[in-house]
Amino acid sequence: MTMYNQTTDERVDKALANSFLRQATRRATDRLRNNKYKASAELGNWEEWRAAGEAIRKNVISNLDYYLNQLIEQMEKRGVHVHLAKTPADAVTVVRNIVSEHNAKNVLKSKSMISEEIHLNHALEEDGIDVVETDLGEYIIQIAGEPPSHIIVPAMHKTRQQVADLFEPIAGHALSSDTPTLTRFVRTQMREKFLRGDIGITGCNFAVASTGSIVMVTNEGNGRMVSTLPRVQITLMGMERIVPSFRELDILLNLLARSATGQRFSSYTTILTPPKNTADPDGPEEYHLVILDHNRSEILGDKLFRSSLNCIRCGACFNVCPVYRQLGGHAYGSVYSGPIGSVITPLLEKDWKKWGHLPYFSSLCGACSEACPVRIPLHDLLVKLRMRKTQSGHTPQVERQIFKAYRYFFTREKTLRRALRLGAHLQRPFVRNQRITGGPPPLSNWTNSRTLPMVAPKPFMQLWADLKNKR
Amino acid sequence: MSNTSDFISNLAAKLGRPTPTQPPPQVKLSVPQYQLSSSAERVSVFLQNWQALGGKGAIVRSEDETLQCLKQWFGEQPITWFKENSKALLAWDKLPTIAESAFSSLNWPLTRYSQSAFDPRDRYSIAASAELGITGSDWGISLSGTVVVKSDPLRGRAISLLPPRHLSFIESTKIQDNLFNVLEEVAALGSPPAAIEMISGPSRTSDIEMDLSIGVHGPIEVYVIVIDH
Ligand code: SF4
Repeated sequence: MTMYNQTTDERVDKALANSFLRQATRRATDRLRNNKYKASAELGNWEEWRAAGEAIRKNVISNLDYYLNQLIEQMEKRGVHVHLAKTPADAVTVVRNIVSEHNAKNVLKSKSMISEEIHLNHALEEDGIDVVETDLGEYIIQIAGEPPSHIIVPAMHKTRQQVADLFEPIAGHALSSDTPTLTRFVRTQMREKFLRGDIGITGCNFAVASTGSIVMVTNEGNGRMVSTLPRVQITLMGMERIVPSFRELDILLNLLARSATGQRFSSYTTILTPPKNTADPDGPEEYHLVILDHNRSEILGDKLFRSSLNCIRCGACFNVCPVYRQLGGHAYGSVYSGPIGSVITPLLEKDWKKWGHLPYFSSLCGACSEACPVRIPLHDLLVKLRMRKTQSGHTPQVERQIFKAYRYFFTREKTLRRALRLGAHLQRPFVRNQRITGGPPPLSNWTNSRTLPMVAPKPFMQLWADLKNKR
Repeated sequence: MSNTSDFISNLAAKLGRPTPTQPPPQVKLSVPQYQLSSSAERVSVFLQNWQALGGKGAIVRSEDETLQCLKQWFGEQPITWFKENSKALLAWDKLPTIAESAFSSLNWPLTRYSQSAFDPRDRYSIAASAELGITGSDWGISLSGTVVVKSDPLRGRAISLLPPRHLSFIESTKIQDNLFNVLEEVAALGSPPAAIEMISGPSRTSDIEMDLSIGVHGPIEVYVIVIDH
């Protein structure tokens, strides 16, 4: 996981220098965004759907204790093993124990952001387990050893040639890089694995509290394979992923599919009410539900940021974000990238030193909030996070000094006048075409890549005074 | 690991109140739902949308029409399949009557998945080698061209998943305008079956350079026959 060891600047420089990545990111986000426009327009009254989605999510989050309890009761009544994990480490331990109890060797996974969040693959691989990501995109990045670069299309930063090169050692012969060849290879390769999987691990898009059901959405059908064939199934869910009943599910599924890819529904939407009926010819006999907190309860208790739990992980905010569109997901350094990743990562990980850059990965243009199907005020949350970071004393020394100086001068009129005059004088060697183009640090941090407006020869305060005198 | 009551009471504390003992009030849902005026329209929009996703679809009114439709779609292929694999056509234990009689008139023998082998893994292998999986559908959704299938001991989920082709029979009366109506009926079941599969077209992916590709894991070809009595 090389990305995690680089600094933010290194990651950003790397992203900016990678022209395929930038082109691919624009292509993917353009496509997804335009499809979403069409799919949301077709529904008519999109704003009413968004409002309903927001209302449902707010209701869930403000009654999360009630609904979670209901979900757990329903699940346990049927013999599902429910595991409540406070931390990622707890969740990993639960899964490891289940795997070792069953002496399982082959573990199949369908897409789960929680498994990325808890770095599950790594742990299982250490135990010598053959763990396979079955979603094509996830499979590609698993072989490459990289985190996802987009929440919906995780391998969109890879060229087809890179994909062919990754598959070749597994195939044992050269593969041409056209899409049908590559997908056919994966179909054959994965089939064998599906048929001999001991344990299936899936994510969860929604959990229906009233019936204890899990809703899973995939386009490839791998989610169905993983939840139908192995004898034991584990589902990982973030504890906020609830919907009260089937009544509300229609709205959320419509919002999710249309916002994510512009489809009416994904090819496969599966509603599991596990485990299987004893007489059913397929489906898991044993079912485990792992519910992860990982500081979500802290976010729940924090009124400023509670709304970030409303997210349905559709990725629409990624596709409209000017920062994401320039950089792709790896520059963020976090499992969750894009606007929502910038909001939740510092809150989940509680580490300003490592994740303090994220609230600044935004131009605050508000496109994310406008795109969000459940109306999370993302840009507003990013501003508030910046405030939190500043309050917690984690801003860099230079920034603090600059703001101290700012306060000093702007609360002393005479000193400010004098400083401006001095500035107008000192800037001369660096001014080209009325712009400041160089200078010593910390000024050079800015002027290395951009210019600054010059200090006006006659400051505003002087202009104002002159105007007053003229009257 | 936490026990449930600690976990839940921690959330209640974060929310600053005790956990409600009564269900929270339902959110009012007032979105305008997609509605069609007649059953005929429902069927035709359903088929249009199913075909737009890449599926093949037809309406039949009799056993003979069903037979003709199957012949047209599959031609002599089943004969070739049977030469290699006697279990090439894999089906539920019981399909709609019209389908059962059409297959027997064609003399295309159906293997019943649930009875095809004792060990589940053997059943999966049989399903993976089959050429065509045949099921019924419990509901259809016009707006999205979706078939909805419940699991049941006499059915089997792998039939619509492992073979490269999936054919589903649906009665025209089971086609609804939208998902909301279907979910209302699901909710009315009380306790749902172990799995409800909503299938909208073939298996697809755009994970390689956003290039759409069909059939990466699930069926490559999907067929639906609407039975209109
Ligand atoms: S924040 Fe909103 S737009 Fe972004 S992923 Fe979550 S639900 Fe989608």
